[in-house]
Amino acid sequence: MNDNPIDTTIYAAVTEAIQDEARRILSEGSVSAVVGYAAARRKGSAQPVVITQADDAGKLIFSAACVNNLAVYLTKAKKEIPKAGKIGIVVKGCDLKALVGLMGESQLKREELYLIGVPCAGVLASTAQPARELTGDTIAPKCRECDNHLPQGCDFVPDQRPVTLELAGKYSAEIARLEAMTPAERWAYWKEQFKKCIKCYACRQVCPFCFCEQCLCDRNKPQMVETTPRPAGNTAWHIVRAMHLAGRCAGCAECERVCPMDIPLNLLNRKMAKELKELYDYEAGFEVREKGPLAMYDEKDDQSFIK
Amino acid sequence: MQKFISQQNLGRLLDKLIADGKRVIAPRMDAGTPLYGPLADAAGIVLDQLPRRSAKETFFPVCEDIMSYGKEGQQVTLRDVSPASFPETILVGVRPCDAAAIPVLDAVFSWDYQDEFFLERRRRTTIVGLACTQADDACFCTAVGLSPAAPKGSDLFLTPVEGGGYACETFTGKGEALVNNHGELFAEPNGAPALPLAEPQTEKFDLKKVKAWLDDHFEDPAWDSIAVRCIGCGACAFLCPACHCFDIVDEGTEKAGKRRKSWDACGFWKFTHHASGHNPRDLQPKRYRNRIMHKFKYYDDKFGQTLCTGCGRCIRFCPVGIDIAAIVDEISKK
Repeated sequence: MNDNPIDTTIYAAVTEAIQDEARRILSEGSVSAVVGYAAARRKGSAQPVVITQADDAGKLIFSAACVNNLAVYLTKAKKEIPKAGKIGIVVKGCDLKALVGLMGESQLKREELYLIGVPCAGVLASTAQPARELTGDTIAPKCRECDNHLPQGCDFVPDQRPVTLELAGKYSAEIARLEAMTPAERWAYWKEQFKKCIKCYACRQVCPFCFCEQCLCDRNKPQMVETTPRPAGNTAWHIVRAMHLAGRCAGCAECERVCPMDIPLNLLNRKMAKELKELYDYEAGFEVREKGPLAMYDEKDDQSFIK
Repeated sequence: MQKFISQQNLGRLLDKLIADGKRVIAPRMDAGTPLYGPLADAAGIVLDQLPRRSAKETFFPVCEDIMSYGKEGQQVTLRDVSPASFPETILVGVRPCDAAAIPVLDAVFSWDYQDEFFLERRRRTTIVGLACTQADDACFCTAVGLSPAAPKGSDLFLTPVEGGGYACETFTGKGEALVNNHGELFAEPNGAPALPLAEPQTEKFDLKKVKAWLDDHFEDPAWDSIAVRCIGCGACAFLCPACHCFDIVDEGTEKAGKRRKSWDACGFWKFTHHASGHNPRDLQPKRYRNRIMHKFKYYDDKFGQTLCTGCGRCIRFCPVGIDIAAIVDEISKK
C-alpha cells in the first residue's frame, strides 16, 4: 500500500499552456489539427480528441486521467485523422518514444508533426474510476519506472516542472520473479494468463506499432493463427505479438492498460526489451534510428543459437 | 411467491446444489478478475463487484465447438455436439442489467433460426437475480428504463434487506421449483425493509426521440465526430451483456478438426469485409454507427425493445474513453 497522494497541481497550468499553444498554431494555420485530450462526461474523465478549429482549443485538458498514448492516431491505421499538412499532438514522455520509433520505421516524418510535450507527474493505471486521486497505489505501473517526466526534443513544452515520488518498480521485480521460475512453471504462468484472452484485440488496436494494413492474425487464406479465443490461438497471438514488438515496443503499456481481462502484456514486452538490451545493446529511446536489431544483419551477431 | 432466505442459508443452498451435481455459475474471482463461472463451493461467490464480463456467456460462450470432423482415406465422419449434454445450471447473483439482457438475447436466438446451443442452455438454467446496492457514474440502467431492482430475466430475484439476508420473489415456474425443492432453507417474508438500492445518476433517455433521430440520420456528419477516436477493437461488444454477434470457423487439419462458434464484433474491420475485397463499412465511424444503430434502432425495429441494459461496462473499459451514455444523450438532444 502506498496511498501517498502524488502532486498533480501543475496540471492546471499545463492545461492552460496546451490550450494557448493549440489556439496559436491552429489560428496561424501552421497545423491542420491537434490531437489531444478533452474532458468527458464522467467526473474526472478524459478522452482523446481531434480539434481542427482554434475556437475548440479550450476543450483541451491534461490531467491524471489522460492515460492514452495518442501516437496511435497518427499511424496509418487511422485514416480518419486529417492528413493534410502538419498535425499537432500532445505527448507525454512515454508516448514520445513511440513517435520516435514510428519515425524510424518511416511511418511518420518529424517535419509533419508539431509536438506539444507534457511535463508529467504520472497518470492513472485505469480509467474504470477516472475521478480517483493519483497516489502510489493508483498510478500506472509504467509511471513508477518513468525517467521521462519532461519530454525531450518537442516543439513546445509548458514551463512547469513535475514533482515526482520515488516509487519501487513493478516490471523489473516481476521479471525477476518469472526468471527465477523453471521453464515449466513459467509456461504454466503464461498459459493461465493467455487462457483469459477473449481476442477483443484491444491490445493490438491501441498499439501505435500495430500498424499493419492487414494483421497476420486476421488472415484466413491460409489461416496463420487460430482465430478463436482458445488456448492454442491465444498463445500463438500473444507470442507472435511479443516477437513482432521486440526491439520496437516503446513501453507505453497501453496494451496492458486496455486489456479487459487483466493480462500483464507489458510484462512480456519489458522482458523482450530486456533481452534485446542484453543481446544487442539496443533499446527504444529518443533517437530516430532506421534499423532495429531484428530488422538488420550484422556479421558480428551472435550465431551460437544456430545448431 | 415471496420468501426470505438468510445469508447462511443461501450458502447452504449453493453448496447443496453443487453437492447434488448441479452446475452453479456465479460471480467469483478468476486469476484476479471478477468473472461469472462455476463455483466450487458457496464460499467462492463474490457479490460486491460487477463481473468484468456479463452473464451472457452462460448461454453464449466466448467460444464453443458445434461440430467435429475427421477424415480417414475416403471416409469422412461428422460428429454433432449434442445439446443434451449441457448440464443443468443455476445462475446466481446476476445483476439486473445482466439478467435483463437474457430475454433480449432469447429473441435473437429464436427468431428465424432456433439456435439449439443457446436455447437448450436457456432451458436448463434457472436464473437467480440480485438487486444492486452500488452504482458508479458509468452505470445507467435507469436511463434505459430498467432499475437496480428490475427482475426482468430473473426466475427468482433476491433483494438484500436490513439485518442481513434476502427477500426473495419468484417470477417463473423455474424459480418456484428452486424454492419448493429446497423449502427448508427459505422462510416466510420477515418484513425487513430492503437495503438502499443503487442510484445511477444518469438522466433517463428519451429512447423514442433517439430512435426517431436514428431513423432519419444514417448519413450525418455527427458520426465522424462521435467515432473519430474509436480504435476498432471489440472490447465494448465482448463485455456487453446484449451484443451477440458471432463467427463460425473450422479449425484443424485436413484429417481432423472442429467447427467453432465464437464472439465477433461489428467494431472490427474484418466483420463486414467481403470475399470480393469490398468492405461496405470501410471506415471506423461507419462501424461505430452500426453499433449505435443496432442497439437503439435496428433491434427496436425488429423486436420492439432496446439492445442496451445500461451496465456501463463498455464505458468503463473502452480503451479510448468512448461513453455510450454521453453519445445517446447527445443524440436525444439533437
